[in-house]
Amino acid sequence: MKTFALLLLCWLAPLAAADAPGAAETAYAKGDYAGAVELWSKEIRAEGVTAARLAALGNAEWRLGRKGRAMVCWERALLIDPRDPVANAGIKHGLDAGGVDRPKPTAVEEYAAFLTADLWLLLAVASFWTAVLCVAVPRLRGRAASEGNQWTRVVALTLLALCFPGLWGSRSLDARAVIRKPEVSLRLTPTQLGEPMSGVSEGDVVRTERPLNGHMRVRTADGKTGWVRAGEIEAVRGPGLPADLDQKAAP
Amino acid sequence: MRRLLSLCVVLCLGLLARAEDRVSWEITPRVTAPGQPFRLQIMVESDIVLGAAQFISREIKPPRGMALRLSGQLIRPDSNEATFNFSGVAPEQLGEHVIPSFNLRFARKVVLVPEIRLRVSDQVTYRREAQARAELVLPDRVFYVGELIRGAIRMRGGENEAVVASYGLESLAEGFSMAVTAERQALPDELGQGLQTTFDLTPIREGAGEFSLNGIMLVQSGETGVFNQGGRDRPFAFRRRLTVAHVPERGRPPEWNGAIGRFVAEGLQISKDKPEVGEPIRLRAILTGDGNLDRILPPELKGDETWDVLPATERRRHAEDQRMFVYTLVPRLPGKLRTPAVRLAAFDPATKTFSRLEFKPLEITVTGNAPAQVDLVTADPAAPVAAQPKPATGLATPEPNRSSPFFRGSPEGSLGDAAGFWSANATVLGLVVAATTVTGILGYLAAHPEIRRRRRARALMRAALAEAEACRRRGDARGFAVAVVRGLQAGVAARLDAEDQAMTQSDVERVLPDADRARLDGLFLRAQADRFAPAPPLAAAGDADADLALLRRLLATR
Repeated sequence: MKTFALLLLCWLAPLAAADAPGAAETAYAKGDYAGAVELWSKEIRAEGVTAARLAALGNAEWRLGRKGRAMVCWERALLIDPRDPVANAGIKHGLDAGGVDRPKPTAVEEYAAFLTADLWLLLAVASFWTAVLCVAVPRLRGRAASEGNQWTRVVALTLLALCFPGLWGSRSLDARAVIRKPEVSLRLTPTQLGEPMSGVSEGDVVRTERPLNGHMRVRTADGKTGWVRAGEIEAVRGPGLPADLDQKAAP
Repeated sequence: MRRLLSLCVVLCLGLLARAEDRVSWEITPRVTAPGQPFRLQIMVESDIVLGAAQFISREIKPPRGMALRLSGQLIRPDSNEATFNFSGVAPEQLGEHVIPSFNLRFARKVVLVPEIRLRVSDQVTYRREAQARAELVLPDRVFYVGELIRGAIRMRGGENEAVVASYGLESLAEGFSMAVTAERQALPDELGQGLQTTFDLTPIREGAGEFSLNGIMLVQSGETGVFNQGGRDRPFAFRRRLTVAHVPERGRPPEWNGAIGRFVAEGLQISKDKPEVGEPIRLRAILTGDGNLDRILPPELKGDETWDVLPATERRRHAEDQRMFVYTLVPRLPGKLRTPAVRLAAFDPATKTFSRLEFKPLEITVTGNAPAQVDLVTADPAAPVAAQPKPATGLATPEPNRSSPFFRGSPEGSLGDAAGFWSANATVLGLVVAATTVTGILGYLAAHPEIRRRRRARALMRAALAEAEACRRRGDARGFAVAVVRGLQAGVAARLDAEDQAMTQSDVERVLPDADRARLDGLFLRAQADRFAPAPPLAAAGDADADLALLRRLLATR
């Protein structure tokens, strides 16, 4: 019992701890957003990605006017923690006042946003195995299933059924990207001379469909479809920090 | 004294004189008809032991049009004689043909063979159809660079000989690339017995070039015996001077892209007949015919205001003599569109003319909106500007140290993308299903013991049946009865859920109600007469077939 209590304490300790503001937070509070970006980026590289760090980095990027990087940070923060308040507030601010567009989430996506993709998958796998073992164990033991076993089966199968839309919605949420270049044209065809149809601006979130010839077919928030160059967008699902698109490839 | 001295001088001269090599040859027949097979025999006699000669085929140079092959050399150990046999086919040209002088290289010396002459005359009676012969099938015309020329060597059997195999095909083609397409195929029925080897020739430069083909066919004559198996090698050699030119520039259409031959535009295929504006589809143009399909450059398709064309990737099917050109098309406008025209030109080497081919365009319905559509803005400039309430938004204060126990992870990849996740789950699921199935089967067998008991009983009855058959063949009446009764007891015991040994005639009757009681009594009496006391003399044996039929009936009962 003592051991269990100790473990629980260790688990909850970080939640209760009220850390003193770090150098990055201080820089952000003083308006040194470039310094805050540098410090948070260093922190993420050294200590790993968390939703809160990404959301904070997104805020600093937004303050610097880099909408594309900021949206990437916030969207990735929401992939880790769909209810992160800072990231949600940042996206809401970008949509309402920042001139950024984002496809309205479908009902399934809103449902999926209740948990992360990994949690949906873990829940589905756990409920599936519970149901399988509830069926298999009594057979292996050569005994009839107890009433508790029957109830467990029902609960597990119900959970499994509830997980399917979550998994589907998570998959749909993953198939999105953020426009990273200012003034990107949606082209009619995936070619160098493809005719520009309409424009999308930096920070807009688009749904991605299929790649072809170095381009990606995308659908914007207002339903327009077209092709953009693969280098003009960055997928929402990706490594923690936004990609540096100006960096040249190593020879 | 003088006579003795002269005799000694003669003897010494005889000893000191160097013995000369004697070489003779014989051709059979001495005079041949054009294309007639012949045999050449060369005999060498020397003053030393000769052994085997080497590199003979390299040394001997038959004249143009003559095929010659070493069939074998006869050498006896410790002998100063050697015989060489060649088989050959006379040239088609009349006159005297000379095989130039050449060397026979033995281990210890080189022997010069003088030139050999063969006379070819049309006065010789020779029926070409009687013998096996080889023919070269190649068009007799000017060829063109890049053309695909299909040729063949037909090895046709004769009235007295059949061609059974061929080997050793060698070719020399200056300015050509050659590829054998099929070897030793049976000839078509109308050409009679024989084999053929087909090949493709492609001229690669302009000018005149020598083309030669050599090989050997194995022929079998009708006469066979203990010492004559009837099989013999027969060489063939062809030399042809071929002239190659470039495809004429005069009258050459601009869209000609290297096609030489006769082709047919089979048609166009599309991957989707109702695409959206901007949605790529695949267009396949299928070309068939006889010609250099592999060397044709894909026709260029240019994009226009209705279609955008992407770089093509193509697939070829060699087996069906067809070529496929593939393009990716992207529609730019909605409505009913026709696919871009795919055109090419081909040069026919037989008629020396160019022809144009065009694939019939397909009609496609493109859905979606035109890209140039502009939404008109209707606004009244005089209208007062409505004050839009600005939404209350703003960035929240960052809390980089906030953490949640449930929401941890990386946005880079989900758990489902992890290597081994799905395979591990599938493996464990398979194991659980297998274990459950095995447990279920074992449980069922445990719940129904009669299955195993009846199975065992059937095995015992089969063994008893076999033993009874064996006893009957041996004439062992008691053993026969014991085996039959043992089988009946095993079968009946499984039915009545009792012990085998306790089964009597009455029990057998319960299972087989129509069994003959008297027969059962006799059977049991013969089998168990010595159970409690010495056996009395054997009663007369009953009908063994009927006893066995009883056992078989019990075995067949389910």
